[in-house]
Amino acid sequence: MGELILAVGCDPAQEVICTPDSVNELFETGVVFRLFGFGVTRSVILIFAAALITLALLFFAYRRPRLVPSKFGVAIESMVDFVREEIAIGVIGPEGVRYFPYLLALFMFILVGNAFEVMPGINFPITSLIAIPMFLSLLTWVVFIAVGFAKNGFAYVSGVVWPRSVPLGLRPLVGLIEFVSTFVLRPITLAVRLFANLVAGHVMLTLLLVSGVVFVAHVDDIGFRSIIGLGWFAIGLAIFIFELVVIVLQAYIFTLLAAVYIETSLHPQH
Amino acid sequence: MQDISGALALIGYGLAAIGPGIGIGIVAGNAVQAMARQPEAANMVRTTMFLGIAFTEALALIGFVLFFLT
Repeated sequence: MGELILAVGCDPAQEVICTPDSVNELFETGVVFRLFGFGVTRSVILIFAAALITLALLFFAYRRPRLVPSKFGVAIESMVDFVREEIAIGVIGPEGVRYFPYLLALFMFILVGNAFEVMPGINFPITSLIAIPMFLSLLTWVVFIAVGFAKNGFAYVSGVVWPRSVPLGLRPLVGLIEFVSTFVLRPITLAVRLFANLVAGHVMLTLLLVSGVVFVAHVDDIGFRSIIGLGWFAIGLAIFIFELVVIVLQAYIFTLLAAVYIETSLHPQH
Repeated sequence: MQDISGALALIGYGLAAIGPGIGIGIVAGNAVQAMARQPEAANMVRTTMFLGIAFTEALALIGFVLFFLT
């Protein structure tokens, strides 16, 4: 991460020491190696790593179920139990157990993908690339529409665009708003919420921590002014702790909203 | 007379953030009040609060997308 910006036009003699070309530098990296004609970048490796870590966490926690589980087992089990009790059953109801595997997969993958943001040596959340949250939210979109049709048939769509509980004069207007918000805005906002939070966090962390390092590293050239770098670094560390909260919260909110969307497809009268 | 340059979309996003900011404040404030009055309902209130925040936030997120589009 450090070399990335340090490499981009750093000149200690200038007034502005480092000028990155564009913010995309923080998100795009070159092709590491080529495989079957596809260029494999760091992001691709991290996506597969996230999937493997998710699988490995669950596999090793549940490989040998014991009456008194190990510490690692308790940690994973409490997480799985939280998704099951609070999100799947708590939001959808008893029939939410059917959708619990999907919600758990979403939660774990997003959590691991987000956690790359603060993992030393990686420092890059894969969910800050719009492709990942957009794919997950489109998958959720397909799931909740399929659930709505499977459960309610065509009444699912007609219930959205022609809501019976609204006075007749307002029905076309409310129906139009409901239609756009259900079928167009839901997947977009679901994806962009995760994406925007992680992009903002990644940019803030990178700029603050790296500028702290750059200022202190150039202490020979700029003299006592490099003390500003300590301030940047301190703010960066404060943001770092804040990001730890954001990482878990965004995974939770994404999964919670996926559960709510499935619930509204199952019981459209609310 | 000095020329002012910059992205108008940034100002648009700033404007788009005002309403949701106030809205999220109201949602979270009322949720805290509800939790203080009925601590046993805290779990339910927390879930509903996140939902309310998520729906309120949608407008700010649309502004964020438009900032990228322009």
